[in-house]
Amino acid sequence: MPRSAFHLLAAASLLLGAASSLDAARRPRYGGTLRVELRVARALEAAEWPMTFETLVALDESGRPQPALAISWRHDASGRRWQFHLRPNVKFHDGSPLTAEAVAAALGGSGWSARAAGEEVVVQTEAPAPLPEFADRRRAVFVRGADGSLQGTGPFRLAQWEPRRATLAAYEDHWAGRPFLDAVAIEMGRSAQQQLLDLELGKADLIELGPGDVRRATQSGARIWTSAPVTLMALRFERGRPLAEDAKLREALALSIDRAAILNVLLQKRGEAAGGLLPQWLSGYAVLFSTARDAARARQLVTGAPVLSLASDPSDALARMIADRIAVNAREVGLRLLTQAGGNADVRLVRARISPLGAEQALVRLAASLQLPDLLHLSSPALESLYAAERALLEDHRVIPLFHLPEIYGASPRVKTWATPGLLRAGEWRLDDLWLDSELP
Amino acid sequence: MNFRTRMLVSFALAVVATAALVTWVVSAMTRRTFEQADDRRTATLVAQFRREFESRREELVRRVEAIAAMQSTLDMAIELSRPEPDYAPYVNEAGALAAAHALDFLELLAQDGAIVSSAQWPARFGYKAEWVKEQTEWKDAFLKSEELPNETALAMVAVRAVSAGGSNLYVAGGYRLDRGFLGSLVLPAGMRVLLYHNFEPRFSAPALTDAAGPARDAERLAPLIEQVRAEQREVARTIEWPDGPETFQAIPLAGRQNELLGVLLVGSSRRELAALAARIRWAGALAAGFGILLGIALSYWLARRLTGPVAQLVRGAREVASGNWNTRVSVASRDEIGELARAFNSMTQELIGQRDRLLQAERVAAWRELARRLAHELKNPLFPLQITIETLQRAKEQAPGEFDEIFCESAATLLAELANLKAIVGRFSDFAKMPAPQLEPVDLNEIVRSAARLFDAQLHAGNHAPIAPEVDCGPGLGLIQADPEQVTRALHNLILNAIDAMPEGGTLRIRTRRLEGCAQLEVSDTGQGLTKEECERLFTPYYTTKRHGTGLGLAIVQSVVADHHGKISVESEPGRGATFRIELPAR
Repeated sequence: MPRSAFHLLAAASLLLGAASSLDAARRPRYGGTLRVELRVARALEAAEWPMTFETLVALDESGRPQPALAISWRHDASGRRWQFHLRPNVKFHDGSPLTAEAVAAALGGSGWSARAAGEEVVVQTEAPAPLPEFADRRRAVFVRGADGSLQGTGPFRLAQWEPRRATLAAYEDHWAGRPFLDAVAIEMGRSAQQQLLDLELGKADLIELGPGDVRRATQSGARIWTSAPVTLMALRFERGRPLAEDAKLREALALSIDRAAILNVLLQKRGEAAGGLLPQWLSGYAVLFSTARDAARARQLVTGAPVLSLASDPSDALARMIADRIAVNAREVGLRLLTQAGGNADVRLVRARISPLGAEQALVRLAASLQLPDLLHLSSPALESLYAAERALLEDHRVIPLFHLPEIYGASPRVKTWATPGLLRAGEWRLDDLWLDSELP
Repeated sequence: MNFRTRMLVSFALAVVATAALVTWVVSAMTRRTFEQADDRRTATLVAQFRREFESRREELVRRVEAIAAMQSTLDMAIELSRPEPDYAPYVNEAGALAAAHALDFLELLAQDGAIVSSAQWPARFGYKAEWVKEQTEWKDAFLKSEELPNETALAMVAVRAVSAGGSNLYVAGGYRLDRGFLGSLVLPAGMRVLLYHNFEPRFSAPALTDAAGPARDAERLAPLIEQVRAEQREVARTIEWPDGPETFQAIPLAGRQNELLGVLLVGSSRRELAALAARIRWAGALAAGFGILLGIALSYWLARRLTGPVAQLVRGAREVASGNWNTRVSVASRDEIGELARAFNSMTQELIGQRDRLLQAERVAAWRELARRLAHELKNPLFPLQITIETLQRAKEQAPGEFDEIFCESAATLLAELANLKAIVGRFSDFAKMPAPQLEPVDLNEIVRSAARLFDAQLHAGNHAPIAPEVDCGPGLGLIQADPEQVTRALHNLILNAIDAMPEGGTLRIRTRRLEGCAQLEVSDTGQGLTKEECERLFTPYYTTKRHGTGLGLAIVQSVVADHHGKISVESEPGRGATFRIELPAR
């Protein structure tokens, strides 16, 4: 072969290789293990692992229900009877087919009854159930395998489980196709500091971030994934304690808090000041609840020199700092708050997860988790009724909403997304749509 | 208390007083010396502490300056100098910087005094610390009360300003003055530091801490702290603890406005010095005790050495008193005691010589008295014999017819006088032949009662005025060892003498009683009595105060008493009768 021909062939090969590399940078590649670190250990329950256990419908990025295990559905006029047509050829991780009987068995209970009807599942509810409720993680479908283990239908199957470590392997037969990743290694119980360090050192691909860590993670090149505010941080007065029963003190404390300063500094503007229970994105009327501070009015309400105790989660550093700041604000109006980590106290700084399944559902669940009066029977699902109910819940200041906080994750630069973002608005991962840009050295 | 004991006590007291005086003087001098040494030590320690405190101030200033000089601090100052600065990214900066530079307190303050970041109270961001604007230039560290979430702390603070873009970022770092700070101070042995936080209007015991925590027995230090609070000056005082004294130098700690923020107590233990002084005192006391014991022993030895010859003299004198005149004391010393002993020996020799001469003279006198008495006693019967024989001679020559008649009368007279002579010779013979007493248990009261019965008729005889007998036999007299015949004879002689002494009548008293170790017999009369000279010579043989006495009666009585190892005495005054007392050993 002449030398010139050889050079031409080599040049052509290089051009072809370069073109292939460019394609690889744009297109997802299969393989690799995503290393995830979490602060809190998750239990081995179907509700905790959305990438393993699926529901009949799933909420999309906009919060709208989309087909998942069910491909179509219909309901009666009352909204109490639903009939779902299941997706064909779906198999559980152990190879057993998804049947209407298995789905009916998983959906039954808690006021619901379900039965198989051929290829369909019929669900009867006591109260009218909107469609998003079928996306509730608590209604995830699973069966027990021969060894008693939980078997789901999600894109990842549970390959290994230890109390602080879990490995999810790609499910080759998933109805939507095999995920890009080969596996997801999840390490739980890692502190924020450890997670951040591991991300910086390249030992982790996806970590949880606190608001104060975002700047540092950004500086280290990580990409920040932020959900909509899905957590309510609030003060809850404990019932039965003398000082907590003083309505004036409760109101004084509510008026003393400078939410803006906390949001700007401690939360690094990640979140929203909350005057109500539901976030703006869910209810649309959250702005009607005032978050302004009124120290003068608060001082008028305080008589004597009351000393209240304020407890926060000992493992939540951010909560402890916010509690300290609230104590500083309260001191200004003559209220003395002694902060403590855990234990019995007059007031408790709590976080409550906001259900993404709709405003009504979210308010009901928040009221329940914050030990507020039962809201199971709202007079009307109309927005005005919801607003009135929420205002009634808050008028005695037994719960003082503080902030609506988003989920924040830091992802290393090699973590790529394909069709959907890695984190949905409701705070749910979409690991099946992630891929890794390069293998680890 | 005898002479030796007095001498011993005197010597011992002198030694004890001397030892006590020496011990006291040594103790006082030791204490004074130690106090001076302790004062110097305390002053040195306090000066050392001040240097340590000052070095901590300088170290604090250096650390704060180091933070202010950091590039990241300058970057922060530049960022914060922009319009509408965002403090949020820096809210945790102070905590990290404080940890890195080992500061307890650190605050980053904006130009307007707003807290950008606070290590000691992170939640106070945004609040303003107006004090930082009071001064344009900060140099030395100063003391400041630092508000914390649940308390107020005392802090040593240094401030440095970082200028950027026409505004300042203040770096205010400090140490917390608490038990940890106290524990970090390098202190000499025997020294400790306590800190009082003066945040209360009155003394508060929990506000007083040392390196180990809340100070024990804080109330004991309250007066010292109160004095410093009132006078705001350094005060020194020594506190007596159960385990020894401790000197405290109380130093007021003032803030920038000269307000009293705390009181620093620098304690210097005097326990070791006190223990050393105590050991010296104990050693002195032991030496004094040993000296006292030695002094007493020496005093005893000296007193014995001095009083030994005196005791010998005493024993010699007692021997002489008991009749052993041939007594000598052997004292070899040449001092006054030796001179005294030699004089004593000389005296006894002289006494023996005089006694011998006196005995010789008395023998001569006795023989003369015996000769005179014999001559007198014999002269009386001899004269009638001579007259009777001359009468017979004259009757033979001048009246032969009446011779027979006269012869018969003269023969009777001669026989009578010869009998009288025989009686006289017999009495002398009896006196000469006084036998040794045959001792046996005798009831003296019974002898007295028998004699009373025997002489009862004679006492009431018509040839003299009546004499009233009074017999008083003492109870419990018991039996004594005596010769009953000789005692009876002695008693009879005394009764006869008493009767002779009362020709005009009177009262005869006989009394017995028990004395310690002997039985006493008293015979008293109410006669004319005796002179002192008569009393002295009364028991001399052949001495008599009576016209017809032989002078042997009382001599026999004395002989009997002497043979029984008893004593006889007489008590009398002229015109008031006489009392004879005999004491016989009870045995």
